[in-house]
Amino acid sequence: MGTKEEAQGTLSSTDFGVAASAFILNWNTVCSSFPPWTWVLSHHQVEGYLSLENVLLSSTQEEHSELSFPEAGKHSHQEDPIDVDDATLVHTNPCKVHYYDLHIIYCNSYRVPVLYFRAYDSDGEPLEFDEIEKDLPAYSKKALSDSKWTFITQEEHPYLNRPWYKLHPCGTSEWMKLLFHADDALAKTGVAIELYLVAWLSVVGHVVGLRIPFEMMKQL
Amino acid sequence: MASESIVVFAQFQSAVDEGFWHRFSSLKLNKLGIDDSPIPITGFYAPCSHPQVSNHLTLLAESLPSESNEQSSTAATSGGNRNRCPVPGILYNTNTIESFHALDKKSLLKAEAKKIWDDIHTGKAVEDSAVLSRFLLISFADLKKWTFHYWFAFPALVLDPPATLVDLRRASQYFSLEEAKSVSAACNEWRNSSLTADVPFFLVCVDPNSLATVKHIKDWETCQSDGNKLLFGFYDPCHLPNNPGWPLRNFLALISVRWNLKSVRFLCYRENRGFADLGLSLVGEALITVPQGRAAKTGNGLGWRDHQCLPNAVGWEQNKGRQVSRCISLAKSMDPTRLAISAADLNLKLMRWRALPSLNLNALSSMKCLLLGAGTLGCQVARMLMAWGVRKITLVDNGRVAMSNPLRQSLYTLDDCLNGGEYKATAAVKSLGRIFPAVDAEGVVMAIPMPGHPVPSQEEDNVLEDCRRLHDLVDSHDAVFLLTDTRESRWLPTLLCANTNKITITAALGFDSFLVMRHGAGPFSSNDERQRLGCYFCSDVVAPIDSTANRTLDQQCTVTRPGLAPIASALAVELLVGILHHPQGIFADGELANSSNSGSCEQPLGVLPHQIRGSLSQFSQMTLVGQSSNSCTACSSTVVSEYQERGMEFIIQAINHPTYLEDLTGLTELMKSASSFQLDWDNDDDDDDCIEI
Repeated sequence: MGTKEEAQGTLSSTDFGVAASAFILNWNTVCSSFPPWTWVLSHHQVEGYLSLENVLLSSTQEEHSELSFPEAGKHSHQEDPIDVDDATLVHTNPCKVHYYDLHIIYCNSYRVPVLYFRAYDSDGEPLEFDEIEKDLPAYSKKALSDSKWTFITQEEHPYLNRPWYKLHPCGTSEWMKLLFHADDALAKTGVAIELYLVAWLSVVGHVVGLRIPFEMMKQL
Repeated sequence: MASESIVVFAQFQSAVDEGFWHRFSSLKLNKLGIDDSPIPITGFYAPCSHPQVSNHLTLLAESLPSESNEQSSTAATSGGNRNRCPVPGILYNTNTIESFHALDKKSLLKAEAKKIWDDIHTGKAVEDSAVLSRFLLISFADLKKWTFHYWFAFPALVLDPPATLVDLRRASQYFSLEEAKSVSAACNEWRNSSLTADVPFFLVCVDPNSLATVKHIKDWETCQSDGNKLLFGFYDPCHLPNNPGWPLRNFLALISVRWNLKSVRFLCYRENRGFADLGLSLVGEALITVPQGRAAKTGNGLGWRDHQCLPNAVGWEQNKGRQVSRCISLAKSMDPTRLAISAADLNLKLMRWRALPSLNLNALSSMKCLLLGAGTLGCQVARMLMAWGVRKITLVDNGRVAMSNPLRQSLYTLDDCLNGGEYKATAAVKSLGRIFPAVDAEGVVMAIPMPGHPVPSQEEDNVLEDCRRLHDLVDSHDAVFLLTDTRESRWLPTLLCANTNKITITAALGFDSFLVMRHGAGPFSSNDERQRLGCYFCSDVVAPIDSTANRTLDQQCTVTRPGLAPIASALAVELLVGILHHPQGIFADGELANSSNSGSCEQPLGVLPHQIRGSLSQFSQMTLVGQSSNSCTACSSTVVSEYQERGMEFIIQAINHPTYLEDLTGLTELMKSASSFQLDWDNDDDDDDCIEI
């Protein structure tokens, strides 16, 4: 990381790429038991972003799905009778779980990484924000209401062109600067690029309840 | 009960990613049109990877053929992704909800089951085992409402009689410790090789030394060795401890048909955190009875093994235990109107969060604004109001869009000028809706009655009607912008606003200078002893008369510097926002730029001036304050109380006899007595003689 960028708490787009591959390597070796982050190339194969998809971030519901045999012959609606047999087991009340997709995308105007995310239930239906809010850990809700930099907004995903939620980046460089300035030694070691994303995600990930495995933090 | 001993398979569950419907919509709109022929699609699934949650067969954007004919993207994504084992499927999309409901689900299911049956008999299913899980999707895409009705079927060939269960237990209980270790290692290797990671059916061979290998099912013959344990493994999406998942059904059919086995030992392969989990995985033994009954009926003695004898199929997915289709609405992420609204809101919220925590967005969005005049000023003011989050905008104008207008009047285009021109009020509303669909805009085609423009008696009723309409319009709005092209057309609105104490903002243009001001509160609005701020007419010593008479065309104001109207309009709107955020609102004192003596200038939006005068020739701008005049022809208590007492009769008199107003207010007297009346702020008498919309 150039010392100038570092002093600003920002990151150049080239350094983002460097930081991202270091992050993937680090994550996938230290936490091989977690789902892997992957690098997704854009259509033009020039830029890309980090992606962690289909994660059950908060499986608070322990309840098992209720199961029953289908009631053959009983049909609501005017639908055609549909063949079912005794060998079929139907999930009548599927477990209510929420899946999250997390993307880390570089933002050129703020020169920092931005966390984009979305949530959906088990049959793929996107969740409304108030439902997501219920999933968020209590400290996250507090942070969201207290501080200016962690507010969640909905914006178009720059590569998928669909609305995703994101943590607005306008305060990121400020606290990243604090994070790096807090440790002069760290600032001088010169490995800071590789650590930028781990440090960043350790703060940002908390908002959506994603914890960085402790092993990754030990390198900081 | 007989069913106790039969194998009961947990049904496959579906999940459709939002991205699938997005791509399908665009495919439908841009390529397919009303073509409703079936589309080959690809579903993805993976072994169950959570002790409480089953895996779903998932459709993603990549499940559909790409819109352009380049196949590269699908090829790139389907190569050996361990979490996305591809399964072939077919999509029947109908063009109406009626035809969706009318689809013959039995035959469709049967047709897909037959493909599986054929693949089993031809051996294709042995080579490419994913075809055993072939699925079917029917849908109706309501692209106007962004709603999708859909129903999945996972065809399963029915064994008759059903397979019975001899044994079913956790794999960790079935295997010895040593075997388990080796089986896990072999499975992990299979799952981590890009050649086999997405091959969902396989063989597990455990030799007498507890050494396990995983093989392709086509290698079945080579695995036949005494002392080997042979298990038929499959990626099991199901998490349940007592039920194998759906893919086993057609696998059993394959095993029975191809190899004629009576007893099948199977492994329901499940994972945890990306590795084989033998505590979650199951090993079972199923007994298949060759269906003699059917064989007898068909009379050829082959039964199952007869390719011609297609077994029954089941597999339409249940929706929460009911046999109904599913429906998903994606209006939130696809409806451009809703997206525009949330984007607009976001912009304003960002401004509040970052710069102006006290910004009152509700006050802005609930504000009802009346714009008198839909010309250069009116168009621009309307745009600025929308940018600030104002939603209710009413435009009053009786003119039509002329050929010269679109260049300066930012809501119009050439199309509005054709065929004699659309009414400006109408065209402006349409244009606002195109800019921001959530705007609540209304156009009123109406002339504003003006003093000095006498009304013939036969038209008096119409003019009175217009006066009443204007009265009602002012009454039903919160803020009124006076943006017409003549002085006298501002008189009646000024009076009506003073009467009802509405926020009133005037913008007027000269050739290269402008005036933007807010009117003071009405004369009867408060018991406050302080002097009210003036209105547009307070500094005048003449009542409004016909200002366009005896003027050449250029004096009738088609010529102002083009930059002037946007500047003045923007200031007019900013002035309104300032009033809304001032604790005293309409009663706020006029402040001057750089005035530090006033306590109230500590407002987050800065000072709140009374008047802003600007000149483009000097690129200068100044703020001024003018108090109300007791002799004002529009807002003085004399005039307002006269209007309150005599109503329309008074208006007609004022319109037909302009000197009546001067007599009434004492201006006539004043002019006689004052030889040199000097306005406290207006040293430049003629700079706004020519005013334009």
